[in-house]
Amino acid sequence: MPFEQVNGKVVAVSVAPGREVLARKGAMLAYTGDVHFSPVHMGQGGAGGMVGRMMSGEQVAMMVAQGSGTVHYGYRGLYVTIIELDGSGPLSVEADRLVAHDAALQSTVVFLGSQGGIRGAVRGAVSGQGLFTTQLHGYGTAAVLSHGGTIALPVNGRPVAVDPQAYVAHIGQVNVDISASVGWRDAVGRGSGEAVQLKCTGQGTVYVQASEQKL
Amino acid sequence: MIPLNPTTLPDNDNIPGNHYAYCVRLDGQLFMQTGRMIAYYPAPHSQGIRFEPLTAASLGGMVATRFSAPLYTRDWVVAAGAGHLILGDRGYDINSYDLDDGNLTLRAANLLAFDSTLELKQSIVPGFLTLIGTGKFLASSSGPVIFAEPPIRVDPEALVGWADCPSPSHHYDAGWMGGFLAGAMGMMGVNSGEERQFDFTGAGTVLIQSSESTVADPHLVQQLEGQLAGLGLSGLQRMQQAVAQQLAQQQQR
Amino acid sequence: MQGFRLNGSRVLEIDLMGDAVRAATGSMIAYTGDVTFKNAGMGGGDGLMAGLKRRAAGESVALMHCTGQGTVWFAKDAMEVLIVELNGDTLKVESEQLLALSDKLKTDVAFAGVRGASSGQGLFTTTVTGYGTVALLSAGGPPIALEVSPQYPLVVDPDAFVASQGQLNQSFVTDVSWRNLIGESSGEAFSLRFDGSGVVYIQPEER
Repeated sequence: MPFEQVNGKVVAVSVAPGREVLARKGAMLAYTGDVHFSPVHMGQGGAGGMVGRMMSGEQVAMMVAQGSGTVHYGYRGLYVTIIELDGSGPLSVEADRLVAHDAALQSTVVFLGSQGGIRGAVRGAVSGQGLFTTQLHGYGTAAVLSHGGTIALPVNGRPVAVDPQAYVAHIGQVNVDISASVGWRDAVGRGSGEAVQLKCTGQGTVYVQASEQKL
Repeated sequence: MIPLNPTTLPDNDNIPGNHYAYCVRLDGQLFMQTGRMIAYYPAPHSQGIRFEPLTAASLGGMVATRFSAPLYTRDWVVAAGAGHLILGDRGYDINSYDLDDGNLTLRAANLLAFDSTLELKQSIVPGFLTLIGTGKFLASSSGPVIFAEPPIRVDPEALVGWADCPSPSHHYDAGWMGGFLAGAMGMMGVNSGEERQFDFTGAGTVLIQSSESTVADPHLVQQLEGQLAGLGLSGLQRMQQAVAQQLAQQQQR
Repeated sequence: MQGFRLNGSRVLEIDLMGDAVRAATGSMIAYTGDVTFKNAGMGGGDGLMAGLKRRAAGESVALMHCTGQGTVWFAKDAMEVLIVELNGDTLKVESEQLLALSDKLKTDVAFAGVRGASSGQGLFTTTVTGYGTVALLSAGGPPIALEVSPQYPLVVDPDAFVASQGQLNQSFVTDVSWRNLIGESSGEAFSLRFDGSGVVYIQPEER
């Protein structure tokens, strides 16, 4: 296993030639061995990906770790959850929650939810709902950040509704729709922005954190 | 949940099942950071527990010989008396350590309490404190402490402390520093992370935690200010430049 | 009896079968099934009088009614959750440490004495009375239950206090030595002393 959970807030990843690791800048805590770090430009998603990132205001710089050794990753005392991708479905995670992943995984930026196209996207970004996600494809491992750890809720036919503030990631053949609910804002909505919930349907798992604090 | 009382509380150990709270069986004096007491049971038929500022006249001699970290005097008190004293620290994991005629250096914010048999000094690394001698102390960390052996390189923000090592040196990632981005960012602006680490070599132990969001440490500012006197004219001009650059960067965010 | 159970240590999971629970506003993180959420109103579901008292007291308990068929997950600020059963007795709880309670329990506001002068907390605490289940929140780690008996009075930091249960007398301790510190440091200048018989719940992190 290249990714090993050291404790709730730290993962250790072994790096070897041909097995590089991409991680959020500033997430490297310590390393042993002969490892080098260099910044990567996040243009891999093509023009669309770049536009998506710029609109979302996400400037999450990533660093690639190359060489051979072991790197400890963690970020500002946040909890880290390891998620395995077995090729059966992509992993979607909010870009700033993605702390590290196998460089072999392919990433694109997508806007979560089908409503409203570009305008909806802008609105989402403006209201701070953070509905832009990074999507990872392929086989490999990813580590995601949360406030207080995550619980994994299975989505198997029955829809699961999630508070966007508590949403962390989802994996599998899961469809996520944004819907506004009557009375939702009154009882649930916190802070500013639109009172929306994420409706998850299909087959897979959604990860939810034990807090409504964004990172 | 079965309630605890002085007959079931541990003597000098973490509260059962709770890494975030520690019970000291106090009988005498203990140096502790202010604001970390969450509860205590005074020992029956005793004077209870008192918390004395280090400036208290009654402590004079003891403090003078044990606590030579003047910048931090206001952050510490002496707990004196008898009873069970429960400490907590921002939800950090708390561990106790025994020092046997040794030395250990810790980030000031991570040192929670220490026996009055130990001696505390300010480290030459800004923001760190060194404990010397024989005795017990309590340290906190964001998540459990990771103990590592050198050779290892550590993000300064993730460093809790080190024991029995030669003083750490800086390591700059050659690939990163040689790149054009490094030039664009300016060498002075690089503080920590993938570009620059503390390098530990030799025999000893390094203590690591998940990095912290940078907390403004007023003592660090004081310490840096103190060092400005040693700079010449050109040095001061350079500092001014660097500060202005950093300031502009921070204001942009 | 509703199924209050933990999912991990920081998430409360409740199955609803046509019945109702009250929970802190904004604490729902996910749900399945057919569940509706409604603001419990000014009194936190205990009528206008309780609401007015609460407003006067500055206790900010904001509760919502959750009803329907399904499962709801609740959490707040990554705090640890403690489930406490009430059998006709009264629990005094710091309002921001209350996550959820059975709908049939009654909440009210009680004068809590002089504490709060230092910590800026209200002079009032929320009381919960009746038969049912309460979920409490503890910041910074699992809560600690401490027994108070005539032989063992207890002193706690007001900022670490979560809840108390039993026949307890609460008083305000100003240690003389602390006086030197005022204006010099922001330590525990004032403490809460409990005498009598009962249980006090505290948390490892200070508010």
